[in-house]
Amino acid sequence: MNSTLVMLLAGGVGSRLNILGAARAKPAVPFGGRHRIIDFTLSNAMNSGLNIIGVLTQYKPLSLMDHIGNGEPWDLLGRTRGAKILPPRTGQQDSDWYKGTADAVRQNMDFIRSNKADRVMILSGDHIYKMDYAEMIGFHKKNEADLTIGMMPVPWEETNQFGIANVDQEGRIIDWEEKPEKAKSNLASMGIYVFETEYLLDALQSQPEHDFGKNIIPSAIENDNVFCYPFEGYWRDVGTIKAYWEANMDLLQVDSGLDLDAWRIRTRVEEVGRLGDRPPAFIAPGGSVKNSILSPGCVIKGTVEDSVLSPGVVIQEGATLSKSVVMHDSIIGKNANVSQSIIDKNVITSENATLGNGDPNKANIEKPSHLWSGLIVVGKRAVIPANAVIGKNSIIGYYTSEADYHSLQIPEGSTIKNSRA
Amino acid sequence: MKNCLALVLAGGRVDELNLLTLSRPKSAVPFGGMYRVIDFCLSNLMNSGIEKIGVVSQYRSLALVNHIGVGSWWDFVGRDRGATMLLPSTKHLGGDWYSGTANAIYQNIEFIKEKNPELVLILSGDHIYKMDYASMATFHYDMDADLTVAFGAIDPAQSNRFGVADIGDEMHGYGGVLKSYLEKPEREQQPWASLTIYMFKPEALYRALEENSGENSHEFGRDIIPAMLKKHKVCGYKFHDYWGYTRTIEEYWQTSMDLLKPDSPIDLEKWNIRTNLDHDKLRDRAPARIRSTAELNNSFVYNGCDIAGKIENSILFPGVKVGEGAYIKDSIIFYDSVICENACITKTVADFDVVVEKNSVIGSNNSKTTKQDSSSQLTSGISVIGKGTVVPQNTIIGSNCSISPSLKTTDFKQKKYKSGTVIE
Repeated sequence: MNSTLVMLLAGGVGSRLNILGAARAKPAVPFGGRHRIIDFTLSNAMNSGLNIIGVLTQYKPLSLMDHIGNGEPWDLLGRTRGAKILPPRTGQQDSDWYKGTADAVRQNMDFIRSNKADRVMILSGDHIYKMDYAEMIGFHKKNEADLTIGMMPVPWEETNQFGIANVDQEGRIIDWEEKPEKAKSNLASMGIYVFETEYLLDALQSQPEHDFGKNIIPSAIENDNVFCYPFEGYWRDVGTIKAYWEANMDLLQVDSGLDLDAWRIRTRVEEVGRLGDRPPAFIAPGGSVKNSILSPGCVIKGTVEDSVLSPGVVIQEGATLSKSVVMHDSIIGKNANVSQSIIDKNVITSENATLGNGDPNKANIEKPSHLWSGLIVVGKRAVIPANAVIGKNSIIGYYTSEADYHSLQIPEGSTIKNSRA
Repeated sequence: MKNCLALVLAGGRVDELNLLTLSRPKSAVPFGGMYRVIDFCLSNLMNSGIEKIGVVSQYRSLALVNHIGVGSWWDFVGRDRGATMLLPSTKHLGGDWYSGTANAIYQNIEFIKEKNPELVLILSGDHIYKMDYASMATFHYDMDADLTVAFGAIDPAQSNRFGVADIGDEMHGYGGVLKSYLEKPEREQQPWASLTIYMFKPEALYRALEENSGENSHEFGRDIIPAMLKKHKVCGYKFHDYWGYTRTIEEYWQTSMDLLKPDSPIDLEKWNIRTNLDHDKLRDRAPARIRSTAELNNSFVYNGCDIAGKIENSILFPGVKVGEGAYIKDSIIFYDSVICENACITKTVADFDVVVEKNSVIGSNNSKTTKQDSSSQLTSGISVIGKGTVVPQNTIIGSNCSISPSLKTTDFKQKKYKSGTVIE
């Protein structure tokens, strides 16, 4: 397996994740209590026996770099192993940012050459799934393919967001449409590619395009051996607030198909700046937890239902939390009432505050495409004032505090911004 | 504390800990839902800025060797840092098992000399506490002591279990010169008991160990302190904070329950306690899964737990699974044990990988077993289940029972076992 090099595209902005993606690249967004989204791809690679990974970063890479570190949690440390962060850099000719997926890989052709691998596997760090890449590489070798693309059926109404393929009986791709208005098939690209190294380098040098889907793939299909590796099972693009919340809620469903333990998803548990380990979660007298996920360091004095809690979350006396995702070290104050919310790290929800009031159908006024299903997002280190009542589909900006509120009654679809920013 | 070398005595097996130390030294006994007892000492060393340690062990040391690794979890890896396991070994001239605490150090004297420390800290790895050894070192230097021993307050009626001392008050509340010292005296004595934490000037230590080497007994408490009192400056440092013992099942259980008290004296978060997150795959486990039917009250749960039953005043280690309708009260359940549907566990310590099948009842709050009645030697009301045992369904087992490790369901010949029974 050592002759496959992994190039992991982890530079994504994740703008539709709104303020969750404001401070970090999308792959670094926390998920499922103590993981980050990129853990799924990294763990799949580890479980598939892939030992050398180049991680291409660009947008706000600091959380990601801390998280990946030397790659040790994914067994990437050793003589023939490695996790290499590949940021954009100035070179002899190029002094440019990555302009797209293919461009990012092109700017790292020297890294690919220096690794002398027979194949290059290109992955993105944006998805929640389990896949045995070794099996896909075996499939690629068996077909003597130049390029193999991981694909799965998606709902027809979503075909316009993907590269869509038609395949023959052998699995050879015979037709390709990039984000078609009207698709001929619902077999969608998962953005998972296995290339023969020489083939990839030639294609990148001979074609100037920035993304794989528009030119490199179609011309490969026309002229060379391109196969579809079919995937079935749980796979989520958690690129929107709603999809992100739903995937977290899937962890609480018995048969959702998402199973962190069985999938052997690993993460880095060391946190920058923490000396001691997080102690076990503590359910205090009077606390109650139902159908939820608790991480170490949580202290539960109130009531928690149908929620996913990251390490160090504190639920104070009389508080109720339901159908929510709460990230590291956030505090839900006494008698506060929070439902259907995604709360980023270090948020303080003060006493008696209510999150989740009103009509779920009143979409966010500024970003109706981000928040329209009734969810509330609260940005990192926000302080929600005592007695505030926050309507559904609202966005509470990061680092906001009482000074940013004109009234404690925040109607549905509002956006609270940091007035000092 | 650059020039301090710490030696942790982690070897001992204590019979009073019953089944829990059958397969591991007492310092490696799990504690607090994710830790091993020795983590408290190792974290104190790390937090005190001590960078070089040796861990002295001989009884069933595998669990300990696995746990400590190269010491990286406590920041002992670096150019001038290090954690070394000091296991008994054959030497140029003989070499032998360690016969006593002082002998264990004496057999490693070359290791100590090679490090050339300014100060040698010798301590045991089996207590639950938070101490800044740097403060004790300051006391030691201020007193210009050859040996400083740390003491904690006890009920004087308990004197016969400890090394007790009469301590001067030169340092105003923090102690002073040791006026007298008695190891486990029969009569009621002073309220200050040795915590088995010793700071030595290296030369004084070397001389005391040489002089002791010809004797028959080689213990710091019984032999070294009394001998040094005659010729050296020996001081007592009074420690005023929480001290948790884990030497007997009752102490172990009580110290564990202290974690669950309101305003617990053991503050794991503030104490910055670290453990080896690789050991028993702590870090690989997904967060705890709490099902809709679960009821949890005043309890600890950790990653890998899957809870559908009722948990009260209990500590569940990683990977414990509790079925619907099961009820666990006042108990401590180690890694990966499974408590099936409608089983009921009260005041019990269950070791790793125990299975209690459905509808079984273990332990009770009725603890009126006397020593005569209790063939298990357990009298404090706590039942203990050994590692890997499977208790068959519909079995009723009383309090103070000692259930051996690795039993299969067919080893349980009775449906009902009265309190104080040993099941083997």
